[in-house]
Amino acid sequence: MQHLEELKQQIRDRLPALDLVIGWEAGFDPLRATPLFMRQPDDVDRLIIGPQCVHNLATHLTGLKGRKIGIVVKGCDSRTIVELLQEKLINREDLVVFGVPCSGVVSVGKIGRKMGSLDYVEGVEFSADSVTVASEGVQNSFALEEVAADKCGRCQYNTPLLFDVLVGEPRPGDVVDDYADVATFEEQPLEARMNHWLEAMDRCVRCYACRNACPMCVCRDHCVAQSRDPHWMTQEDTVENKLLFQIIHTMHLAGRCTECGECERSCPMSIPLLLLRRKMNKEIDALFDYRAGTRIDATPPLLSFKVEEEKINERGW
Amino acid sequence: MKQAINPYLPSVATIVETIQETPTIKTFRVVLNSEEAMRNFTFHPGQVGQLSVFGTGESTFVINSPPTRMDYLQFSVMCAGEVTAKLHSLSAGDQIGVRAPLGNWFPHEELKGRDIVFIGGGIGMAPLRTLLLYMLDNRGDYGDISVLYGARTPQDMAFQYELPEWLERGDMNTVLTIDVPAEGWEHSVGLIPNVLLEMAPSPGNAVAVTCGPPIMIKFTLQALQKLGFQDDQIITTLEKRMKCGVGICGRCNIGGSYVCVDGPVYTYAQLKALPNEL
Amino acid sequence: MAAKFIAHTELDAWLGRISERYRALVPRREGNAVVFRPFDPAMPVELKARPTESPKAAVFPRCEALLAYKYEKDPEEPGRVEVEVAERRDGVPTVVIGGRPCDAAAFKTFDRVYDSDRVRDLNYLNRREMTVLVSLVCSKPATTCFCHWMGGGPASTAGSDVLMTPVADGHVFETLTARGDEVIGTELPDASDAQMTEARKVQAAAEAAMGEPVDVGAAREKLLALFDDAGFWEAESAKCISCGVCTYLCPTCYCFNITDEKFGHEGVRLRTWDYCMSHLFTMEASGHNPRPTKAHRLKNRVGHKFSYYPSLHGGNIACCGCGRCIRSCPASVDIRAIVLNAIAAPAPRPKG
Repeated sequence: MQHLEELKQQIRDRLPALDLVIGWEAGFDPLRATPLFMRQPDDVDRLIIGPQCVHNLATHLTGLKGRKIGIVVKGCDSRTIVELLQEKLINREDLVVFGVPCSGVVSVGKIGRKMGSLDYVEGVEFSADSVTVASEGVQNSFALEEVAADKCGRCQYNTPLLFDVLVGEPRPGDVVDDYADVATFEEQPLEARMNHWLEAMDRCVRCYACRNACPMCVCRDHCVAQSRDPHWMTQEDTVENKLLFQIIHTMHLAGRCTECGECERSCPMSIPLLLLRRKMNKEIDALFDYRAGTRIDATPPLLSFKVEEEKINERGW
Repeated sequence: MKQAINPYLPSVATIVETIQETPTIKTFRVVLNSEEAMRNFTFHPGQVGQLSVFGTGESTFVINSPPTRMDYLQFSVMCAGEVTAKLHSLSAGDQIGVRAPLGNWFPHEELKGRDIVFIGGGIGMAPLRTLLLYMLDNRGDYGDISVLYGARTPQDMAFQYELPEWLERGDMNTVLTIDVPAEGWEHSVGLIPNVLLEMAPSPGNAVAVTCGPPIMIKFTLQALQKLGFQDDQIITTLEKRMKCGVGICGRCNIGGSYVCVDGPVYTYAQLKALPNEL
Repeated sequence: MAAKFIAHTELDAWLGRISERYRALVPRREGNAVVFRPFDPAMPVELKARPTESPKAAVFPRCEALLAYKYEKDPEEPGRVEVEVAERRDGVPTVVIGGRPCDAAAFKTFDRVYDSDRVRDLNYLNRREMTVLVSLVCSKPATTCFCHWMGGGPASTAGSDVLMTPVADGHVFETLTARGDEVIGTELPDASDAQMTEARKVQAAAEAAMGEPVDVGAAREKLLALFDDAGFWEAESAKCISCGVCTYLCPTCYCFNITDEKFGHEGVRLRTWDYCMSHLFTMEASGHNPRPTKAHRLKNRVGHKFSYYPSLHGGNIACCGCGRCIRSCPASVDIRAIVLNAIAAPAPRPKG
């Protein structure tokens, strides 16, 4: 709580020089936060921070280009900002980053499965490493690591990589992400993997929340999914067509996806989209020793051109 | 028992003639393939139709021939998007789909006995042409008829095959204008609202019927008000992105008014009562 | 009209028998989502958690062909190409089991538009007439439920053919229409007096749990009054990411797109769900867009539901209060809050 007050003060101090500051406030129940756009000092009173603050607020930045924006970020969110800056999609001078060290965010889906229903959440309490949820007369406590988003279990960036203001104690991240989940999936026979995706994509309603929630999805209103010229994709509601879009999305994010997981979190149909993105990231990591948004001063490999890439031996074989 | 007519099913029609009106406007004269359907086809001036290029899509255009001349239905198409580009590649003998008539129309019955001032800009002359020709074919029913038709350059002026007749007829007053002087141009020069102020039609029992690009409409309305025209003495016709054309699909609405069925023809008084979302 | 009882242990067998006569769509859990799928004896039916999607696709599929076309060369005159166009209308007798009362009521929003004095959408009506709705009473409201604001209720019968009420060992099925009778038939035992009493208690408790409804009728005029208040709409839409979750999960959102697909010399004209939050929804070929920002688009979405539609359709609001748009929104945009904020907003100064 002490950190929240400090953060609020920092925001109030800087708000006069900014058009707005993006943070989180309580949503429709105590388990759900919702983005908060602070324009007036009063708005800051509603700010919250905690494991329920799941949204990667950097998603909003490209849509606010040209304005002076403050933004509250967790470690993982800061990777997005690094990548956006590297791609020159936003201007550093227009941005004030309020960093908040993070010990993980909750997965509402995981808690929901454990509780059976989250239709009527009466109360939620967070401690340093646990969360207690009361819903429909049932109360349960969970270790945070048990109900945290998958991305938190492999996060090395608990402290934002980039900030103007840091509120709270920096937290070291010592986990190594070896893409074990991708490797495990890849052990399955090809047919099983294909069936997995066909089954999952079959329930896609094509709302494109995955695309719009993705902070690196910047084609905006010129997306291949709806473009008539060129006419890449049909509007037919076939699973192949829907999977094709995800493959295109994944290809377009090669070396750019910071694995914030917003695509998967925002999918109302619970399609495990992040696995596709991570498969691509695993390949990029193997080829270029690079993970998007982790090195502030680097030039992302696919934004550079080297005649001879170290691991793409195009002249040697 | 309501009629079981599929509102989405176009009639197949054949293009019988095309006219390249301007570098960007092409006119299509079409006849429905079913002789019976063509014989029974009725519409009012100002109603629109959806033209289909099967495989590309549908787009909305006003029927700009009058109901008094039923040898063919005429549509003038400005090349702007996917469907219009495809339409421009078609020629006589090619087949398209037609869903028409759709929408409301100019109140030609109520306008009987009134003086009419037509003010058309660019492709906006097309919807006015249908009413103008209808009135000329029923000339005795209407008072004075004036036409102000403006385009950017002489080359952008459509319906050139008819303009000499409009200029020469003694029972109508026609003024043509272009934005900037051009060699060989013998008519007015100047923006439509300014030329309109010079023409100074008397509001009296007149009705102004206008259509054109949004910026022209904005200043034309101001000019008409300056001349003393009341809001219900001004009629315009709107364009919106449409899909179903029958008031269902939900994109051409201005508040609760669906341009495809409640429009496209509105008086300025009606438009002012709607939310500001043109 | 009949009242029958099915024990929990009998439900799957009964659904199996229904499946022989109908496409029986039931809620099923896939991942964390609950979706409607044809009944499969190998997969459990999910009747506890609320379905993530509405069952509207049973009547209004995400994608359907409205017509098929084919270009053919005239054999007599090879330079001449004829086009043949054929209507397409399909649909199979369907029963939706486990939709909620709000979902059933929502079809009335469609009906007023798709079956009006001026137009009949035959593709829609064809499926609508073939679809029987067996609605499950909600025994408890969710945080996001507000059906009672919209004139509905967790045990409302409006729009349903059969009402299905959970009781101790199973469900009581009360038929409400002839079509409902046809589905339920006579094979099941009648519900006992005790079971009926229990069902009524469950229904009454559910209605009571909703609390006092909020009257949002004032939104109709107020949303129009706020039309030009760009600041209000910018603030309300700030966190929206312009995706289609709210509209695609909404039981009452009925807008669609029509596009052609071409495969060689033939193809189809498709009707697909479309969403007013999309930039392309109103984009004109000239490049002009009457709703250029998400603020314009959200204004239309809320305005359509709570102002324009009611003014055209006897005061009926185009929202059934299911709360899916709130619960599944990636940014938790809350349409209740927008409507209440609009009602509470200071009246803008009159124009001029």
